[in-house]
Amino acid sequence: MPAPLDPPEGNWWDEPVNRRETIWLGIAGLWSVGIFGWMSGFTQFGDQNPIGETYDVEPDAYRERVQEYKDAAEETERGLVPPEDSVYVGAMRYNWDALPVVLEAGREYDVHLGAYDVQHGFSIRPEETLSKQINLQVFPGNEWVIPMTFDEPGTYHVICNEFCGQGHRSMHGTLVVEEA
Amino acid sequence: MLGTLRALFGNEYDAEGYRSCSVTGLDVHRSVEEHVKLFGVTAVVALVVGGSFAFTVATTRWELIGLLEPGDFYTHLSLHAWNLLIFWMVFMEIAVLYVGGPMVLGRRLPLTALAKAGWAVMVAGAVGVNLSIWFTEAPEQAPLLTAYVPLPVSPWFYATAIVFLLGATVAALPFFAAVWKEKRGAATKTLPLVTFGAFVTGVIAVEAILGGIAAFAYALVWRVGLIESVEVGIYRQLYWIVGHGTQQINLLAMVTVWYFLTHVVGGAVVVSEKVSRSAFILYLFFINLGAAHHLLVDPGMSTGWRVWNTSYAFYGAAFASMIHAFAIPAGIEAGRRQRGLGGGLFGWLTSAPWRNPVFSSVVFSVILFGFLGGITGVVMGQMQVNMTWHNTLATVGHFHATVALGTTLTFMGLTLFVVKTMFRREFVSDRLASLVPYAYAGTMSVATLMLMYAGILYGVPRRTAEVVRNIPGTDFSLAAASPLFALFGVFALLAILSGILFVVATVGSLLFGADNSGGDLTDLHAEGGLTPDGGTSVHAVELRGTFVLCLVFMAAFVAAYVLNWYLLTQLWSIGA
Ligand code: HEM
Ligand SMILES: [Cu+2]
Ligand SMILES: [Cu+2]
Repeated sequence: MPAPLDPPEGNWWDEPVNRRETIWLGIAGLWSVGIFGWMSGFTQFGDQNPIGETYDVEPDAYRERVQEYKDAAEETERGLVPPEDSVYVGAMRYNWDALPVVLEAGREYDVHLGAYDVQHGFSIRPEETLSKQINLQVFPGNEWVIPMTFDEPGTYHVICNEFCGQGHRSMHGTLVVEEA
Repeated sequence: MLGTLRALFGNEYDAEGYRSCSVTGLDVHRSVEEHVKLFGVTAVVALVVGGSFAFTVATTRWELIGLLEPGDFYTHLSLHAWNLLIFWMVFMEIAVLYVGGPMVLGRRLPLTALAKAGWAVMVAGAVGVNLSIWFTEAPEQAPLLTAYVPLPVSPWFYATAIVFLLGATVAALPFFAAVWKEKRGAATKTLPLVTFGAFVTGVIAVEAILGGIAAFAYALVWRVGLIESVEVGIYRQLYWIVGHGTQQINLLAMVTVWYFLTHVVGGAVVVSEKVSRSAFILYLFFINLGAAHHLLVDPGMSTGWRVWNTSYAFYGAAFASMIHAFAIPAGIEAGRRQRGLGGGLFGWLTSAPWRNPVFSSVVFSVILFGFLGGITGVVMGQMQVNMTWHNTLATVGHFHATVALGTTLTFMGLTLFVVKTMFRREFVSDRLASLVPYAYAGTMSVATLMLMYAGILYGVPRRTAEVVRNIPGTDFSLAAASPLFALFGVFALLAILSGILFVVATVGSLLFGADNSGGDLTDLHAEGGLTPDGGTSVHAVELRGTFVLCLVFMAAFVAAYVLNWYLLTQLWSIGA
C-alpha cells in the first residue's frame, strides 16, 4: 500500500490517477492559465496598472528637478498648481516635498515619484472613501513617472507606508482635486 | 537540571543505536533523534522570544492601548519578525530535514559534528541578530525584517545575519550526506515521498541562503565603507531571494510534514506518487520566480518581467499547491475509506481523530493555509491588485495566514508529536494539548482576517506605531478602521494566550510529563493500522468528499479574485 515513508513499489509512474484528482488537475490548470491571461491582458485593456517610465537619477538631482518645478508652479492657498501636465512629488524624511498640489478633475497628469534619502511608500486615498487606495514604492535613485487621472473631485491623502525612520508615521501630504 | 536533560535526551536503543518507533514504524537511530530534539527545543525557545514581542507589537497597533513609543515599536517589530519568521522556522526546518531524510530512511545521521557545529553557529548568529537589534541606537535604525538600504542599519546586524545563514547551511549538510549515501550504489532506487519533499526543500533552502548571503554582504560592505554607494533596486532583488525564499522553505517543509503526519496519525495514503512528486518538481523549477511579487509596484522593473515572474511562469507553483491541496485530504479520505472508517460524503473526516492535537493542528493548518493564506497570496500577487495590498496591513494579514497560521500550526503539531514519540513524555494534560490547536487556529484566524480588512478596506499601512487614530501634524486619520482594531486586539491577545498554552503544554510535558517509554503510544496510532491492508485500490476509491472540499475552495478563490479586481477597477485611472 502506498505510504509516504516507504519507497514506492513497482512502476509507480504508470499507476492510474484517481478520476476525481484528474478532474481537479484540469480545473486548477485552467484557473492558473486563466488568471495569468487576465493579468497580462489587463496591462493592455485595463485602466489601473502600476506601469510607467523609470529614469535613473541621483537623489540630489531629483531634488533640484522638484525645486525647478516648484519654482515654475503657481502658489495658491490650497497648494501648488502645476505649470503643465507633470506633477512632482519628492519623498523625504518626513515630508512629501511639493505637496499639497491642486489638480483638475478628469485631466491626465504625469505623476513623478522619487525620494531624496531612503525608500518611502506612496500610499494615496480620497478622504471620503478610504477603501479606494493604492500604494507605490518610492526609491532614492529612480524617478518613476506614472500617469494618473482623478475623476472625482476631493482631497486625496498621501501617507508613507514604507518604514523610513522614527518620524515615518507623521509623513502626510495632500492632493486637492477640483472640478475643472 | 543536567539529570533532567540527560533523561530527556536519552532513550533505550539496541546495541547498534537503533530503536523501533511504534507510531511511525520507523527504525530510529539515536544520532538522528538527538539532533532533532536539539533543533526542535531551540526552535521553541525562539518561538517564546518572538512570541513575547507579538504582545508588544499587537498592543501598540491596537492604538487604544498604544503600548510602545515609535522608537521602541520598530525594535520590537524587528525582534518579532526575526525570531519567529527566521529562527523559529529555520531551526524547526533543520529538524524537519533530519526527520525527512535519515530518520525516514532508517539511517544514522552522518557528520554529526557538522550538525552540532551548524547548530552552534546558528545560535551564535541568532543571538547576535537579537543583540544587534536590541542595542541599535539613533541614527542607526531597527532593520525590521527587510533591512532595506539605504536606511542606516547596524553593520553588526548584517554580519550576524550572515553568520546565521552560514550556520544553517552547515547544519543542512548532514541531511544531504544522508540522501547521498542512500542513493550511492542505488541510483535508481526511488526515495520515499517524504524524503523527496525534504530534499526539494533542502535545495530551495540552499538557493535562498545564497541569495541572503549576497544581499547582506552587499549591504555590509556598504555600511563599513568598502563601497561608496548602494543601489536600492539591486539590494531589493537580492534580499527577496532570501526574504521570499525562506517562505518557500516554510511552505515546502510544511507540505512535507503534512504528508508525514497525516499518514502516521491519520492513516493517510499517497493517492498518486506521480502527481504529488510532480508538484514538488514544479516547486523546484518555478517557485523561486515568485520572489518578484515583492517588487510589483517598484520602479524600474519591466512589465513583462513582473507579470511572468509573479505568476511563477503561468502559475506553475500555485498549480503545484493546488495539487497538494487535493492530495493531502484525498490521502486521508482514501486511507480511511479503504479501512471502512466513516461512510457518506464526509464521514471519513468527521470520524477522524479530532482529539489528537497532532492531527487537528495539521488539518487546521491545511485548511487555513489554503483558504486564508494561499488565496490571498495569489490574488495580491497579481501585479495590478498588488497596488491595493502592498505594504498595507492586508499584506501582514496574508503572511500571518501563511506562516503564523499555516506553518506555525503544522510545526506546533510536529512539536507535540516529538514530545510524545521522541522525548517519550506524556502531556501534562491531554485536555490542554487537545485544546491548543483549536484555540490558536480560531483566534489567530480572526486576528488575521481583521488585519486583511484593515489593510484592504481602510488602507491602514503596516510598520507604523500609529496612524489609525492620529497622524501627527494633520486632522486626517484612518479612525474609521478603529472598530476593526478592537476586534484585532482582543483576538490577537487570545492568540498569544493560545501560544502560551502551547508552550505550557510542550515545556510542561517535557519537565513534568510522565515517562511513556514503556508504553506503545496507542493513542497516537492511526486507526486501523499504519497502512490499510487490502480494500479498494487507491485510484479507484471514490474521493467524493475531497472533491467537494476542493470545489468549495475554488469557489472561495474565484470569489476573492473577483472581489479584489472589482475593488481595483473602482479606482481612478492609473498607469500607462
Ligand atoms: C499571536 C501571534 C501573533 C500576533 C498577534 C502578531 C502580530 C503582528 C502584527 C500586528 C504585525 C504588524 C506590525 C506592523 O506592520 O505594524 C506583525 C508583523 C510580523 N509578524 Fe507577527 N504576530 C503573531 C505571530 C507571528 C508568527 C508566528 C510569525 C512567524 C512565524 C510572525 C511573523 C511576523 C512578521 C515577519 C512580521 C513583519 C515584520 C516586518 O514588517 O518587518 N508573527 N505581527
Ligand atoms: Cu517615508
Ligand atoms: Cu515612511
